[in-house]
Amino acid sequence: MSVQTPVEPAAAGPTRATAAPVQKAPKDRRAGIGRVVAWATLVLIMLVTLFPFYWMLRTALSNGTQLATDPSSPLPVGFTFGAFERVLGLSTTAEAQAQGGSGAAIDFWLYLLNSLLVATLITAGQVFFGAMAAYAFARLRWPGRDAVFFVFLTALMVPPIFTQLPNFLLMRDLGLLNTYAAIVLPFFFMTPFAVFFLRQFFLGIPREVEEAAVLDGAGTVRRFFRVIAPMASGPLITLAILQYIQAWNEYFWPLLVASDRSVRVLTVGLGIFRSQTPQGTPDWAGLMAATLMAALPIVVLFAVFSRRIVDSIGFSGIK
Amino acid sequence: MTTHRSQHRSQHRSLRRGLAGATAALALTLTGCASYGVDPGAEGETGTITYWMWDSAQLPAYQQCAADFEAANPDVQVQIEQFGWDDYWNKVFTGFVAGSAPDVFVDHTSRFGEFAARGLIEPLDDRLAASDVDLDQYVPGSAELWVGPDGQRYGLPKDFDTVGMFYDATKAADAGLTAEQMNELTWNPTDGGTFEQAIAAMTVDTNGVRGNEPGFDPSSVATYGLGLENSGEAFGQTQWSFFTQSTGWSPVDEAWGTDFHYDDPRFQESIAWWTGLVDKGYMPPLSYTQGGSLDQQLQAGKYALITNGSWNIANYSKLDGVDLAVARTPIGPEGRRTMTNSLGDSISTTSQNKGAAWKWVQHLASTDCQDVVARGGVVFPAIASTTPAAVETLSATGLDVTAFTDPIADGETFPYPEILQASEVQSIMGTAMDQVVGGDADASSLTAVNERVDAVFD
Amino acid sequence: MPVTTTASPPSAASSAPSGPARTERKPSRDTAAALGFIAPALLGFVAFYFWPTLRGLWFSFQEYDFFDRPRFVGLDNYSRMLGDETFWNAMQVTLQYVAINIVVQTVLAVLIAVLLQRVTRSVFVRSVVVLPFLISNVVVALLFYWMLDAQIGIVNAAITGLGLDAIPFFGEQDWVVPTIALVNVWRHMGYTALLVFAGLMTIPEGLYEAGRVDGASEWRMFWSITLPLLRPVLALVLVITVTGSFQVFDTVAVTTSGGPGDASRVIQYYIFDLAFQRLEFGYAAAVSVVLFAILAVVAFVQLRLTRANESDLA
Repeated sequence: MSVQTPVEPAAAGPTRATAAPVQKAPKDRRAGIGRVVAWATLVLIMLVTLFPFYWMLRTALSNGTQLATDPSSPLPVGFTFGAFERVLGLSTTAEAQAQGGSGAAIDFWLYLLNSLLVATLITAGQVFFGAMAAYAFARLRWPGRDAVFFVFLTALMVPPIFTQLPNFLLMRDLGLLNTYAAIVLPFFFMTPFAVFFLRQFFLGIPREVEEAAVLDGAGTVRRFFRVIAPMASGPLITLAILQYIQAWNEYFWPLLVASDRSVRVLTVGLGIFRSQTPQGTPDWAGLMAATLMAALPIVVLFAVFSRRIVDSIGFSGIK
Repeated sequence: MTTHRSQHRSQHRSLRRGLAGATAALALTLTGCASYGVDPGAEGETGTITYWMWDSAQLPAYQQCAADFEAANPDVQVQIEQFGWDDYWNKVFTGFVAGSAPDVFVDHTSRFGEFAARGLIEPLDDRLAASDVDLDQYVPGSAELWVGPDGQRYGLPKDFDTVGMFYDATKAADAGLTAEQMNELTWNPTDGGTFEQAIAAMTVDTNGVRGNEPGFDPSSVATYGLGLENSGEAFGQTQWSFFTQSTGWSPVDEAWGTDFHYDDPRFQESIAWWTGLVDKGYMPPLSYTQGGSLDQQLQAGKYALITNGSWNIANYSKLDGVDLAVARTPIGPEGRRTMTNSLGDSISTTSQNKGAAWKWVQHLASTDCQDVVARGGVVFPAIASTTPAAVETLSATGLDVTAFTDPIADGETFPYPEILQASEVQSIMGTAMDQVVGGDADASSLTAVNERVDAVFD
Repeated sequence: MPVTTTASPPSAASSAPSGPARTERKPSRDTAAALGFIAPALLGFVAFYFWPTLRGLWFSFQEYDFFDRPRFVGLDNYSRMLGDETFWNAMQVTLQYVAINIVVQTVLAVLIAVLLQRVTRSVFVRSVVVLPFLISNVVVALLFYWMLDAQIGIVNAAITGLGLDAIPFFGEQDWVVPTIALVNVWRHMGYTALLVFAGLMTIPEGLYEAGRVDGASEWRMFWSITLPLLRPVLALVLVITVTGSFQVFDTVAVTTSGGPGDASRVIQYYIFDLAFQRLEFGYAAAVSVVLFAILAVVAFVQLRLTRANESDLA
């Protein structure tokens, strides 16, 4: 009769091994139910999130002139790719108007390129300069720092009506109307959100890391670029993605300063699918198709960078 | 302490540096802040002129006009920009503020009064006198709409429109109504005349009972006889103006008047009748009308008849699944009435090329261009001689569009009401009418509202 | 793996702006570097935010219609505001909107973020959750305006299919503000969840493991570990979302335009109407200044209450 004492795995193993046996069963069941509820909630949220997208797709694949004949049908009404053709500029005026479109020309690829350029420039500026400013507010010491930070923060609350017209006048006076610069400049140097967001993260960086760098003789600049910024790669990328999406979806400002076709961005160009006349209806199929196509580059971008965020080493920096 | 003093000094240095930077930025932004008043522009005769319009459906026609014009005037180029209605007036307005307004733009009777009052658009009388434009060639009533508050003209009419009824012919036939009957409906504010009988017949509840049959359930309606778009705000152009004005009433006595008559019993009676249709179940409650548009509801079979303007003929004719027909507005106590409006082209005061702009405006107002527009099949151009061509093109949709053009010949039209401070008045009346039609206030409350509207002009 | 940071009360030195003990150490070097670091942002701030705000403040004491000379009227605009019914109604409508929007959005965002962290790290789920934010405000508003239509909207088709009465989401005075609030929640909850999620990523995993060793349940760990350590991020999220919420405009402009009646006339829409439709820019500026002041006070209070300057981790 050999006595085999099962060798307990190390304490780093699952909790259950070390918990008192008498508590095991109820905790398992509670954890099990909890997990089911959690999953159910997540699925429900995903359904609510996705349903309008399905509706958009269903509408985009419908024939605009038949759309309301069957408003509650879950399937496209009069299935056709006409809307996507309209968006990509592949259909003639007659075809477009036959399906309820306006027939005005749309240079999809040019607008897409413009949007890419503008959004990239804005994001680059905002993240770079915002990170620098956030670091100054979070970790550098200088008189009046917190007061100035709060003043910066109030830029969030500036009513858009105060900034739109004066900025428009400024662009006109600088001769920059209908250029990429006009679209990019007001957003390029800073957005209060970026500064605020990154400051909160920089505040959370353990001081030991910085002090170690200081002891190594690193100046402020080197400290920032070599030590701090890499550690904040997760938040930086998150911020970059969020700001990219914001910049991508800008509509009123580019409409105001840069409606020339050569610099027109996608959102402005796709405004053609909204109602063009008083008491008119939008070109629903075209609008939904346009929106889906405009969102596609971002979805790709996000999917690519999502993994980067998951794989980032988090924030503690000390393992 | 030395550290303290050096700290101070470095603070001062950095402060000064900061100030210098800030001042530089300020200097940049200071420009353009102290120029008030409107740039008087110049009489340039050549170069590029910009032309703004909102109706994308008419772009092809106007691009053709521009090509013809440029061929006849080789040293002028016309650059056409199109912005949808929702964005259009913001663009125009900011253009005026920034002094970058278009040289010529499509103007609307509800807006040009304010532009004229502020000197933002050019009066055309002198230019007209020196030209050979014949104001009599236009459809009666359209040219007068472009006379501003100071008696000067600010635009030449491009097109005209009227209001009529679009209805589902199948539903009408099911209700036992013929096209002739639909075209000759009568109305009065007391019992609604044969108009109310017609829409009652076309209303069907969820049990299949018609509005004029016993057992009709007003709270559970499948198809409403009369569709509702919104409460109509101050003028109800497509909602109720043809009812109210057929009693002999009008909101103001003359164009640019400041004495309003929303306290008139004829008006309040008409609105009370119209609102009453909701209780009877023939018209949907106001709260149901936020969302899908009139034509969608018509197409989905929720409405049997809707009242709307002739500018929607082309759009509505494309609706699949609806056997669409048109009829004239009903005959009221003082006869049949329909509101007529006309769009025009205005020249900005700030334009540097007013000479060229005037040439373009003249071309737009000429038979050559308006013939092109007529064949474009979207609107009725303002020159009376082009109307038959427009009627022909629009009739190709299968609709009898003479329902929209005959009222002009028969003298049954009244002009779009022109007032200053239009947005203020619309704002007050919009809220008030929402409350009345929504059932939260009685039509008699409009008397007090009328005083508020009058007070806007004190 | 030694856990070097624990959930300890914040050290005084980490947050005090300039305690005497610290500033003696190379102050001028920091100041110079700091100015260099914030210079570009400062330029953008002054040129595109600060200066226009100052000008706006100046205009709030004038009567100005954009084309004629402004006329100085002192505090008239402000006293007019006190008696302006539409203004007070707009404030009330906006407050109602903010309350519903923020509460629902924050709760959902934290819920989603926690679910993303504890239940699944799937990239797919994360992408789905943020999808609504990719659609522009205007299109979202139009889409829901149609989906929620009382007669032909798909949502009411489902509701009437269940035998209930159709709900005029945008047409009924009592429903319109919650509807607009929830439409914006739909659009923003993923975005806010992502922000919170980024904050959750900074919480060392070791804390949760220690918690589990001690026998704490998920719920307990959430309250005792997650929430307190999320404080800086939650403070950020709340300030951002509350500020943004007060400034709601696009959704209202595209759908109800302030209706029915005045039930959805939020403050930003009223300002827009005053400035661009009625050409009363001086008064619009005054109302904007008041809104700005309210937001500044709210943000200040929020930051103070959540002690957002400190982090329990550092």
